[in-house]
Amino acid sequence: MASKDLKRSTKKRKQVEDEPEEEDLSRAVALEMPSDEEADEPAFSDDGEVDEFPEIDAASDSDTPDEEGEGDQEDEEETDAESDQEEGEQSGSDNEIHPFPIAKTIISDITKQPKRVYPEIEAEYDSDSSTEDDPNRVGNVPLHWYDDMPHIGYDMNGKKIFRPAQGDELDKFLDTVEDPKSWMSAFDKSLQMDKPLTAEELDIIRRLQANENPDADYDPYEPTVEWFTGPDKEEKMPLSAAPEPKRRWVPSKWEKKKVMKIVRAIRQGRIVPSKPKSTQPQYYSIWNEPTDSQHPAPLPAPKPALPTNAESYNPPEEYLPTEEERKEWESQDKEDRERNFLPHKYGALRLVPAYDQFIQERFGRQLDLYLAPRVQRAKLNIDPESLIPKLPSPNSLKPFPSYRALSFVHGKGRARCLGVSPDGAWVVSGDEGGVVSLWEVTVGREVKRWTFGGKIGSLDWCPRTDVSFFVIGVEDHLHFVIPPNLPSGVLTATQSLLAPAALPPAPATPSPVKWVSSSSSASLDEPILTLQLPTLSGLPGQITWHRRGDYLASVSNREGQGSVWIHQMSRRHSQAPFKKVKGSIQMVLFHPSRPDFFVATQRYVRMYNLAEQKLLKTLMPGIKWISSMDIHPSGDHLIVGGYDRKLCWFDLELSDKPYKNLRYHTKAIRSLHFHPTYPLFASSSDDGTIQVFHARVYNDLMTDPLIVPLKILRGHDIKDGLGVLQVRWCRGQPWLASAGADGKVAVWCS
Amino acid sequence: MASATESTRPVVFTTSTAYPLPTQKFMIPTSWRRYQLSQLINKALSLDKPIPFDFLVRGEILRGTLAEWCSERGVGEEETLDIEYIESVLPPQQMSSMPHEDWVSCVSCQIPRTFVTGSYDGSIRMFSYAQQLLQTTHIHDAPITSLCVLPQSTGNRTYTIATASQDLTARLTKIQSDTDSPDAPSSSQTLASLHLHTSPLSSISSNSSGSHLLTSSWDALVGLWDTAIPAEDEISPDDLAPGRVSKRRKLANKDKSESGVRRKAPAQVLKSHTARVSKAVFSSEESAAGRSTAYSCGFDSTVRVWDVESGVCLQTINASEKPMTDLALMSSSQTALASATDRTVTAYDLRVSPSSSSPAIASMLHPALPSCLSVPGSHTHTPSSTSNSNMHQFISGAYDGVVRLWDLRSVKAPIASFKVAEGKKVLGVDWLGAAGLVGVGGEGGLEVWKIGADGAAGQT
Repeated sequence: MASKDLKRSTKKRKQVEDEPEEEDLSRAVALEMPSDEEADEPAFSDDGEVDEFPEIDAASDSDTPDEEGEGDQEDEEETDAESDQEEGEQSGSDNEIHPFPIAKTIISDITKQPKRVYPEIEAEYDSDSSTEDDPNRVGNVPLHWYDDMPHIGYDMNGKKIFRPAQGDELDKFLDTVEDPKSWMSAFDKSLQMDKPLTAEELDIIRRLQANENPDADYDPYEPTVEWFTGPDKEEKMPLSAAPEPKRRWVPSKWEKKKVMKIVRAIRQGRIVPSKPKSTQPQYYSIWNEPTDSQHPAPLPAPKPALPTNAESYNPPEEYLPTEEERKEWESQDKEDRERNFLPHKYGALRLVPAYDQFIQERFGRQLDLYLAPRVQRAKLNIDPESLIPKLPSPNSLKPFPSYRALSFVHGKGRARCLGVSPDGAWVVSGDEGGVVSLWEVTVGREVKRWTFGGKIGSLDWCPRTDVSFFVIGVEDHLHFVIPPNLPSGVLTATQSLLAPAALPPAPATPSPVKWVSSSSSASLDEPILTLQLPTLSGLPGQITWHRRGDYLASVSNREGQGSVWIHQMSRRHSQAPFKKVKGSIQMVLFHPSRPDFFVATQRYVRMYNLAEQKLLKTLMPGIKWISSMDIHPSGDHLIVGGYDRKLCWFDLELSDKPYKNLRYHTKAIRSLHFHPTYPLFASSSDDGTIQVFHARVYNDLMTDPLIVPLKILRGHDIKDGLGVLQVRWCRGQPWLASAGADGKVAVWCS
Repeated sequence: MASATESTRPVVFTTSTAYPLPTQKFMIPTSWRRYQLSQLINKALSLDKPIPFDFLVRGEILRGTLAEWCSERGVGEEETLDIEYIESVLPPQQMSSMPHEDWVSCVSCQIPRTFVTGSYDGSIRMFSYAQQLLQTTHIHDAPITSLCVLPQSTGNRTYTIATASQDLTARLTKIQSDTDSPDAPSSSQTLASLHLHTSPLSSISSNSSGSHLLTSSWDALVGLWDTAIPAEDEISPDDLAPGRVSKRRKLANKDKSESGVRRKAPAQVLKSHTARVSKAVFSSEESAAGRSTAYSCGFDSTVRVWDVESGVCLQTINASEKPMTDLALMSSSQTALASATDRTVTAYDLRVSPSSSSPAIASMLHPALPSCLSVPGSHTHTPSSTSNSNMHQFISGAYDGVVRLWDLRSVKAPIASFKVAEGKKVLGVDWLGAAGLVGVGGEGGLEVWKIGADGAAGQT
């Protein structure tokens, strides 16, 4: 308090010093000042005027010594009140303000010498000494220490303060009734008795009740003090001696730029003055337009379900879970539980324990804050074996070829093609050196050999059993050869078929293919019939027979119109089925039972009806370059292999897209063949392997074909990047013959 | 291991060889192997020349120690073991090699001191034991697949050889030869050709008396023929081969002895097979009623038993997916051996009724396709000549060029094996049991090997 006052006084002093000549104004101002700021500090209000008003001090002081001389405690309040009044009076006349208490010179009673006596300093309400007028000087100790004492403390002089007489309840009641001032009194703890409240305290209580500032002297509407405003009040001297900067008086370049920018915009019409601010009328209905349909209204938050009986702390018995339900609930995963709590019965609400999931729930919310998944799922642990489709074991699908029984070696060049006789006893194989060998399937001994000029492109044995011969495709020629050791009946029939005594009538349209028969009495070393394909038609890369053995189709590797020929044995006539061929034809096939004809170009397989001469469907295997195909003996399924290692299984009834794509080879597929009787097919590839598949086709249209990889037959060597060039099954036995680029023809037995 | 060496086991030795031990119990240490047991017998009998023995414990050849055998079989410590010992098979030795220009499909050792081979060039060749080529007779234009020498009682040096060929016929050829003096002029004459089949023939065999022949063919037929040479052709050439074709085919034969060749028709045709018949043989002993029995096997995975007189299939043994390549009858005529393309040789019990579920006794696995089988003395037809020691044994030739000697009592592995030619197929074997000689024909020609401890074979 003292320091605060000091500051204020210095401030005031300064003002007084600075403006001595404006006394009238300051005086007028000072009239109000004490009331708001310094009402309780009249003595320190002004230093400079100490000497000017001595008499007022004397008047004010005149009371104090009297009172002090009495030293009465009970009258304290009255002195306070009086002093207030006095101060109020003092404030009314600023001349009576004393900065210091006036000392009085009196004659001491003891020494009989004059001495200066100062009036006692009056402790105000907010001073520290205001609390020190407590007559009980025990301090802030619990007063129940004195409960069994006759006194309640000690006064300033160490005298005991005895406990005032305490009336009983009846006395208290009588006091309240009789004493009209009893409601204005409060119990004083230190004195253990009721003390009447002063008017000031009552005023504070009233103010607090009225939500006002408890300080009665606080003025919220204090006028502003104009310290530096007004004439002769402004600072005339500069605060610093620095010269005035240039920017104070040079026009700003940047302002000019900004202004010029605006001017330019106005000139160019970008800024239009008095432009209408908005087209919208001042008042309009905000719900007139329908809501934007692109943004649906936000979904209302779902309403939480109301608690049911089960959630009660004291649910009925039927809601309580049985032991089995409890076990089941505990065994379930947290996510799978229907309810996240179990009903439990408590006798009273106070017996309900704290929420045991509190920490976990808080942790979950923290995870939400971190955007971490709340449910921590275990990693999916799937056994990769379980993803493999269930296929029957290959051992249960025997017989299938599993080992190489023998191999027949062609001395020079790759063995490119082979054919197996319809009875499955003989194999004829041709190599690129122009040698065709006939040998037994089971022994592998070459029985006969024919040599031709060029590469042997293809071989196939006529499927008829009443005649026996095979066809060899060399450059621009098809040779028909009869094997040795035939029964005479078969031999005669074959000879009469291939070199008939009476030629059938020539067809109306002459064919460019010439049929040349040698005389039937010639030896078996020479081909009995030769078909001269048009020159430059190239090497017949494929020869395929119709199932009945009357029609023969050949595909030459030279592109153009003459690459595909269909030859009819009985009429000795050849015709080209396609007038115009787009792209290179890779392979052709006869349907085993219908007059259908499959043509594989580089990307697609087309199915034609030869009788009606129309395109039936186009199969799209999705292979970049088709190398081979074969049709199932039932005629409903087709397999297509490509140089891009893919093997497609088509269900012809189902779709023109593959039913299944198999990709087991690591290099280009070269040849495919279905076994005529067993549910087997084989594919050979440039990776030197032959893969044998079980392919069971069901008569039931609803059952999908079963394709099971059975065996990889290894044994052929890769030569010049070429592996196994052709595979053929032996009819009647689950045996496979394969011709490889290494010049070997192998027979694989079960 | 000290306790193991000390533990002994009561053993009774039996034998059917000429070296019997007194019948008494021996306490044999269980750590003993074949070698120790063989030494024991040699020492007990104090043989001047040591003879190695093999030991059959309860029908199985002992290959490890006795303790191992017992622990494998779970035989108790105190049980008495019956051990039969047989003369051990010595490691086979190659006696001679006679290369051929073409593959040899069949071998016969039946003519004394002579080997007869049939080759893919259509000729039969006779070799003496001194590796001397006695005679080459061109009989067929097509490869010869099988041959058999008709047994006969006459003591002269004239033999009738039946050959089967891929040219759909079989032929009977009379050959006169003197094995002792190879320089002596030898002659041959084709007596008859047998016409039935429409596919290449796979085998030909005769009965013990030489009166009948059996041919099997790829056309699923088995033909029964007598060996009598008819005075006239039983089949006219026109019936056989209408048209000019057959004449051309017979042209080669006409030059030689076409006039003397009689065309024979079969006495009986046995039809029941559904696929190629690969072998047909007569039973070595006639049944009680005097009716002879024949056996055949084929690619339809069956072994069929025929009554020859009536031509009726008496019994069919069905194996699953085993196309059979060769058939041999054990000398007891109770077991048939059949080699199949699934690389097994399976023994079938012929005594069981057809209703029995599995007539297969044992199956012997080969690493390659077994092509031919032979049992000792299969054509001598004198059971006494085969010693009892090898009545359970047979040999098999396979496409990997290895000939294996098997004992039916130990089917897990062959007793002995020898490699005839690296990577060359063996196509025909013939085991002359008494002499211990094995003729092996194949891709590389004829080789003669010696198997068995019989000292009588050591003449060459």
